[in-house]
Amino acid sequence: MDFPINPPIGDRVRRKETLRFVTGTGRYVDDLLPPGTLHAAFVRSSCAHARINGIDVEAARAMPGVRAVFTGKDVAQKLKPLRVGGSPLLRQIKLYPLAVDKIRYFGEPLAVVVADNSYLAEDAVEVVSVDFERLPPVVDPEAAMEPGAPCIHEEVGSNIVYKYHFTTDGIDKVFQDADVVIRERIRSHRITACPIEPRAYLAHYNQDEDSLTMWSATANPHSLRTRIAEILSFPEGKVRVIAPDVGGSFGVKIQTYQEELLLPFLSRELGRPIKWCETRVEHMRNGRHGRDQIHYIEMALRKDGTMLAIKDKIIADMGSTYTVDHSIMASALYVPGVYQIQNYAVDAFGVATNKTTHGSLRGIGKADASYILERLVDIAARELKLDPIDIRMKNFIPAEAFPYRNVTGALYDSGQYHLCMQRAAERAGYEKLRKEQAELRGKGIYRGIGVALVMEPTSSSRIHATGGYASCRMSIDPSGAATVFSSMGEQGQGHETTIAQIVASQTGIPFEKITVIHGDTLPTPYGFGTGSSRSSVVLMPSAWVAAKKMRDKLLGIAARQLAVVPEKLQIGDSKVFSSDNPNRSITLAEIIRTAYGAIHLLPENMEPGLETTGYFINPNIDCEPDEKGRMNTFSSYPYAAIVAVVDVDIETGFIKIVRYCTVHDCGNMINPQIVDTQQQGSIVQGIGAALYEELRYDEDGQLLTSTFMDYRLPSVEEVPALELEHIITPNPFTPLGAKGAGETGMLGPPPALCNAVEDALSPFGVKIRQTPLTPERILDLIEKAKVSKSTHG
Amino acid sequence: MAKTIALTVNGKPCSGEVESRTLLAHFLRDTLRLTGTHLGCVVGRCGACTVLWNGTAVKSCMVFAVQAAGDEIVTVEGLAQDKRLHPLQEAFWQNDAVECGYCTPGMLMSAYGLLKKVKDPTEEQIKKAISGNLCRCTGYLNIVAAIKEAAANFAG
Repeated sequence: MDFPINPPIGDRVRRKETLRFVTGTGRYVDDLLPPGTLHAAFVRSSCAHARINGIDVEAARAMPGVRAVFTGKDVAQKLKPLRVGGSPLLRQIKLYPLAVDKIRYFGEPLAVVVADNSYLAEDAVEVVSVDFERLPPVVDPEAAMEPGAPCIHEEVGSNIVYKYHFTTDGIDKVFQDADVVIRERIRSHRITACPIEPRAYLAHYNQDEDSLTMWSATANPHSLRTRIAEILSFPEGKVRVIAPDVGGSFGVKIQTYQEELLLPFLSRELGRPIKWCETRVEHMRNGRHGRDQIHYIEMALRKDGTMLAIKDKIIADMGSTYTVDHSIMASALYVPGVYQIQNYAVDAFGVATNKTTHGSLRGIGKADASYILERLVDIAARELKLDPIDIRMKNFIPAEAFPYRNVTGALYDSGQYHLCMQRAAERAGYEKLRKEQAELRGKGIYRGIGVALVMEPTSSSRIHATGGYASCRMSIDPSGAATVFSSMGEQGQGHETTIAQIVASQTGIPFEKITVIHGDTLPTPYGFGTGSSRSSVVLMPSAWVAAKKMRDKLLGIAARQLAVVPEKLQIGDSKVFSSDNPNRSITLAEIIRTAYGAIHLLPENMEPGLETTGYFINPNIDCEPDEKGRMNTFSSYPYAAIVAVVDVDIETGFIKIVRYCTVHDCGNMINPQIVDTQQQGSIVQGIGAALYEELRYDEDGQLLTSTFMDYRLPSVEEVPALELEHIITPNPFTPLGAKGAGETGMLGPPPALCNAVEDALSPFGVKIRQTPLTPERILDLIEKAKVSKSTHG
Repeated sequence: MAKTIALTVNGKPCSGEVESRTLLAHFLRDTLRLTGTHLGCVVGRCGACTVLWNGTAVKSCMVFAVQAAGDEIVTVEGLAQDKRLHPLQEAFWQNDAVECGYCTPGMLMSAYGLLKKVKDPTEEQIKKAISGNLCRCTGYLNIVAAIKEAAANFAG
């Protein structure tokens, strides 16, 4: 594009927002306490599947400090059901903020108590008694698909709530003719995002104004406003949603929750501000869960390692009160990944179970696809006795093929997979590592080397889900300071800094004089949630568009006063000057004064003031399937190559990450420091997913891992030194050339570490098909492999 | 039973009414309105609520307010002096050791507790000091780098 990308774009500027966080003056929802605030607490189900006969709240109503108690039946009479999102392929269900007739998962909210403080509200929750009749719980998604399985949503009539099928012609023949077919069942286990700030909401209905303000730890304030207006039948213009500082999301706060829609109702009923901050246990039971797919996958290859075709059957566990389905499509469309595979078939099933609802989580759907694929490729390499890097190099899409249309219709914007993998191998010293590995084996040290190349489709647009655009409005005030109003909230991404970098770069307003406002629906233009790494793909370009319009206006004013055409003007050093004669100049301050106070000097037909709005539509999107069912629902395709080195202690099952080398391509970087920190955090979250974290249920559907004591997030002691490098292939579809940097990191560790551990334990013939790789599981696998060897060999 | 307690917070005498079951974290946040101390799990694992109690870093969700009566508490709001950032705060900013900011006050207080006791900590000591503080955003590496840098600039 024809617009300059100057500093401070591309600089490692330190973040504006950090100052308030290090001084403890950030403002999160739980920090707000308007006078008269009451506190809510929820009565939750103690079983996974049951019919509700009745709820006795009389004792709770009589408890000290209790102002009100509502059950599901009470609120269903006064509210519209929640709007369930998702594509037309998703079977719709009726949902209210509290369960009405049936309990569908362990921890489901059944009733709410409002009291003078949270301690008293919790006391009253304890004395509510729920009369319920247990139904057989459906926990295993494969069992849930069987005819005759207990049905979770009677109105749907089946636990299979989503079906998708895609195939290329003649695939069976390709499999028949192949030299080798690899068949596997691989599961991506259930995890959750766990931001350190749990969900928190504060609703305040103002009786005098008949208006409603909702402070929410949401990553999606505008959509939340729309939903509140819908469910309460309340004018949307009178609802204001404010997401103040939000303590992390990673997808989990982008959805609208049952409790979140109940709070505004309670405030309207009681005429008081009502606050609810969930406990960690509630977060684990009720926050959206992610991953949890079973893949029956087959790959057909030639003996030399050429990949010919993939067939996959995906069973995605949706949990109970599902509202979205985009994880399944994101998996189904991207299983062929980074390889030149022309033959592909998939049958994908979304299955309801009596578990917590499935939803967004950093890398949703795409992480499952890349994990399964990168495991399968390694298994194929082992079977064919090929080096895992060689088999990948043989099949990668070549750099000259981009933009590349994959077999499912996705259009990959740009990439240099060979170069990326090669750099990672060089950086790690791959040849040397292999030699060392052989030497160490002689000494009884089980070292493994795992490679992977993961690709992360970013900035999704399903017309049904996200609308696919972002916007920024900006103004320069008479003092010469700029304010930018961003349509997206932030939860740690650093938008206050990166947007200011863009605006400073284009308008000449100093970075320090630019303030970015976000997360408040009143002053900011409408937009969609912060997720799918879309900030740098759509939001930053929308700031760029607003800034470009502002630049054009500033240059237009200067052009008239300097009698120089705008094309011959430049901005720098707080001035606009002629490229031909830099002495011919006018200060920005003078231009700003003209726009506000000397409008007779403005060019003809130019409006006074300095205010612009920029929209950017998610580029490279084609949501409508063609006649063969192909479509492109993601805009950009960053990726990373990984070489990981692990030592496995075969006595304890303990895995030590010796090295983690990764080369990442997210296109141009607006602030490389912010990208690096995102990468580090994202990789560490991936290490947690691979080695430590798992949401485990028992056969009754009880969640066994609902605190940080049994759901283990990586601490500083689990983090290895990370070796990060970037290559840059600019995205041709966005003006800034960026592709999104938030999620690729998290996709790497699950396949790379599993591949490394399987490599380390190859003398035993250990096969890893289940994760996380806990010491217990590793020891079990070694033991089973030993037994199997002694039986068969 | 409500009871009035008096204690010193960030060098200033404070008092307030508490129940016997009121957590120190809630007393600091809700009664004194020092909201820099955050709550992330209330079972003593995430460390977002870390404060100094008589000079030692503790998780304030694991302490009843009445236990701290008469004692000295320092919260994140007490780190900067005379509007000048503490070297730890400067170093966290400079090293990009912060994303969403929610764990940051607890991280800072754990690090502060360490630096009060150990002048020139090793990387192992730094990691041990913050091993009870969870961060989901940054991956910890910049936090460790920041504490190392601050240790070099911290005179006590």
